[in-house]
Amino acid sequence: MNKKKARKPAVNITFYVMVIPFIVLFFIFHTIPFLQGIFYSFTDWKGYGIWNTVGLRNYIQLFKDPAMGQTYWFTMKFAVCATILVNVLSLALACGLNTKIKFKNTIKAIYFLPYMLGTLIIGFVFNFIFGNVIPQFGAALGIDALSVNILGTNKAWLGILFVTVWQSMAFNTMIYLSGLQTVDRDVYEAADLDGAKGFQRFRKITFPLIAPFFTINMVLSAKNFLMVFDQIMAMTGGGPGTSTTSISVLIYKRGFDGGQFAYQSANAVVLFLIIAAISIFQLKILEKREAKMN
Amino acid sequence: MVTNKKNIKYNWPMTILLILLAAIFILGPLYISVVIALKDPSDMANVLAWPEKFRLQNFVDAWNMTDYPRKFGNTFFITVINLVCTILTNSMVAYAITRNKDHSRLFRMAYYYFVSAMFIPFNVIMLPLVKQASAFHMDNIYGITFLYIIFGLPMNTFLYTGFVKSLPKALDEAAYIDGCTPFQTFYRIIFPLMKPMSATVAILSFMWTWNDFSMPLVLLSEEKNQTLQLAQYVFKGQFNTQYNLAFASYLLVLAPILLVYIFCQKWIISGVTSGAVKA
Amino acid sequence: MKLKKATALMTAAVMGMSLLAGCSGGSAETEKKEAKTKDGKVELEFLSTKPESKDTLQKLVDAYNGSQEDVVIKLTQPADAGTVLKTRMTKNDLPDIVAMGGDFNYVELQSAGAFIDLSEEDFLENINESYMKMLFQLNKDYEEKSYGVPYATNSSGVIYNKDIFEENSIEIPETFSDLMDACEKLQAAGVTPFELTFKDAWTILPTWNSIAPVLQPENFYTDKKEGKVTFADTHSEVLEKYLQIVNYAQQDYMGTSYDDGNKKFAAGEAAMMVNGSWAITEIKKANPDINVDQFKFPSSDDAAKNKVTSGVDVLFGITNSCGDADAAKDFIRFMVKKENAQTYADEQFAFSAVNGVEQNDATVAGVKEDIEAGEVVDFPDHYYPAGLDLSAVLSNFFLEKNNGKEDAQNITDTLKQLDTEYDALNVQ
Repeated sequence: MNKKKARKPAVNITFYVMVIPFIVLFFIFHTIPFLQGIFYSFTDWKGYGIWNTVGLRNYIQLFKDPAMGQTYWFTMKFAVCATILVNVLSLALACGLNTKIKFKNTIKAIYFLPYMLGTLIIGFVFNFIFGNVIPQFGAALGIDALSVNILGTNKAWLGILFVTVWQSMAFNTMIYLSGLQTVDRDVYEAADLDGAKGFQRFRKITFPLIAPFFTINMVLSAKNFLMVFDQIMAMTGGGPGTSTTSISVLIYKRGFDGGQFAYQSANAVVLFLIIAAISIFQLKILEKREAKMN
Repeated sequence: MVTNKKNIKYNWPMTILLILLAAIFILGPLYISVVIALKDPSDMANVLAWPEKFRLQNFVDAWNMTDYPRKFGNTFFITVINLVCTILTNSMVAYAITRNKDHSRLFRMAYYYFVSAMFIPFNVIMLPLVKQASAFHMDNIYGITFLYIIFGLPMNTFLYTGFVKSLPKALDEAAYIDGCTPFQTFYRIIFPLMKPMSATVAILSFMWTWNDFSMPLVLLSEEKNQTLQLAQYVFKGQFNTQYNLAFASYLLVLAPILLVYIFCQKWIISGVTSGAVKA
Repeated sequence: MKLKKATALMTAAVMGMSLLAGCSGGSAETEKKEAKTKDGKVELEFLSTKPESKDTLQKLVDAYNGSQEDVVIKLTQPADAGTVLKTRMTKNDLPDIVAMGGDFNYVELQSAGAFIDLSEEDFLENINESYMKMLFQLNKDYEEKSYGVPYATNSSGVIYNKDIFEENSIEIPETFSDLMDACEKLQAAGVTPFELTFKDAWTILPTWNSIAPVLQPENFYTDKKEGKVTFADTHSEVLEKYLQIVNYAQQDYMGTSYDDGNKKFAAGEAAMMVNGSWAITEIKKANPDINVDQFKFPSSDDAAKNKVTSGVDVLFGITNSCGDADAAKDFIRFMVKKENAQTYADEQFAFSAVNGVEQNDATVAGVKEDIEAGEVVDFPDHYYPAGLDLSAVLSNFFLEKNNGKEDAQNITDTLKQLDTEYDALNVQ
């Protein structure tokens, strides 16, 4: 009762003991490398030896570098396509799983399976399928487009997109499904009476109700896809040409290489700014829309 | 509602469609992996066909070639230690932050500090981290385990704080009156109540460390420190076209996680989804 | 509000960090690490970047470990070793002894001062001088000191299936037109002339490395460095010829990996490959009975001008973080002994940089004479700046070709891109 009147309740000292060591450790091992990266991006450090500060040179070079442009274009294109595809397909799959189907739990378990498997190994398996299984089929059926390894063509990014969607759908589907399960059956019955059917019912009733889940999925997926790394290392190593080199792959491959430590640090800083901006922007927009819909 | 359970009409077209899709897209690739891992190299003319004769030697060779026991031991160590430490410590941090962030600036700042760090992808800190970790002699399994515990803080603080908020403060107050210190209150009263969220955190950390590739790739250079995932990458060149060996090796890596999944599948799905939804 | 505060904090922190970092910059500190085994022996890590030679090196290392009491050599062989090596240099954690090619990775490490000078060592007396000079060319400022000991050398050219050539009664082509005629003949007979493996982008380099040094103007490397010439003015013929080669390749040359390609070649699915002698080891593994040989790539129509591309395939270097340099030198002394160098040459189908070691295997008989006579050119990509990703540029060139881009335009654009990237790296 009198707590309300009191100024601020004193914080028990033990709480400081619980938190401060972790703040310090996190600062040392996460924040300091982060700040160091920002700092190095203004130098010409190779990762060893002597260095000078060079101001914004790395950033200016970044904008002039055609290879960088291609990398950013690929990463963006990939992230946008993957985010949309994953969310549309997993929403559809979730709607299917939410109907009255038999063996529901088993089917659900199978669709969730890809989430459990390491991306690297999935990449290796599909690398084999694209390189050795599908071309065999294509040749046998006489379809030219299928008889070559897609990872060696300008559609290589579609191969990587497929594997990414394959794996990422698992998680998103389960989120949508748990969202759909919160929708009360009575709401549908009421909608039926009003004559709302099919897609209209989905748009007017179901979707607004699961909008929060949509927000979560969009934010999480977009962020992950912008950092795509494992699949590419397993499947194309960034090729053919540089057509599937994502920003993360470039930072790894060039960062330790040929005097580009500082330059790739600048690249990493830009990647951070983009991810932060997109995440905040998405949260804002989607929250607003949700509020409107509700 | 309960009474007409027997009369439920199943949506058969949808059931069949979903089973077909699952068979082609999910089980298909797994089938290919298993079949190839069991085949003799001479039996590869039709990769999809069932093996003429099982060749279990593939598994033995892959086991020896990649030094599986050691790599498994490393991965197991990292995963289990990280899981236990993460749950014990990160929950405590989140508890302390949640209970004090409304009236203390420091704790409020700590909350925003951790949560905003979620926006920093690993690749951004990778280059300097590699230098720092080697200067601190942390480029081994102990170091990487420690880093996993620290790097999990943002996400886990975020997950746990949402949950702690839902636990009534009266619980703490009652414990204080009984003479408990905050530590005792936390481990005796609050921590057991956090079980559902701890389960989620446990699964997420387990999946992250078991399947992670980028951190071991840049931090663990010595062969004796390698994890299972990294070993697959390193041995890619040495398997060269011995696909049967390579796939046997992949299956050996997938096997432990598949076993865990088969036995705890329901629990895992609900844990992962509830975590994401509550957050 | 929150954001503003965070930004302010961040800025302050960055400024603080830069002060900290300012103090520590500039010193290239190296840490000597001395590892001992349980029974008190010195343990040295020996990292090799050549996956093909693992078995042979292991055999020699075992022999050395068994021959004396004080030192244990531990061989490591990571995948993607070039990147690993550079990552470890960044981490200040180099292995004690390195076996690597005389390539841009060597240039990178040498110019960073990673190796100790071995010029005064007695074991250099047995090493072929022309290969030592080849390494001087790669040193920073062309310094005439031996930071690496040349051990094995390679030959890059056309690897061909002798049986297929005989069945179709094809002579070894000596000029580029001969080569085209041979391809035409093979194709007419239903044989795929070339198996190319461009899914692994580095395999695009050997053909370039064979054609470019023969066709490019003299002093190209130095002139290019000084900005006097461009790729665009001098290298279009290289790409034109490369396009003709690709026309005779199997359909899916962009999607075939090095491993798969070697296997297919070993199974007799194509008559030729363009690659170095190291690929022969892999081909023989897939089919021990195959009858292969190598001939020099006929880059031009003037047979006298054509040369074998040969470089230092393996050199030994001792890093400055080596715990016991004397022990490491002793190991190298053992490796360059004639009988051990002979073992390496025999098993790897390599040519030796050690004097008096001969390579008599039939699989490289076709280039042996030229190599022994010194009629060789070094790999041009060793002289481009480190970080110039030639293989990615060329991979893109063929990708564009398959997208239907017109050849002349494609060549112009590719060479222009190469100039741009070269110049960007040259300035830094």
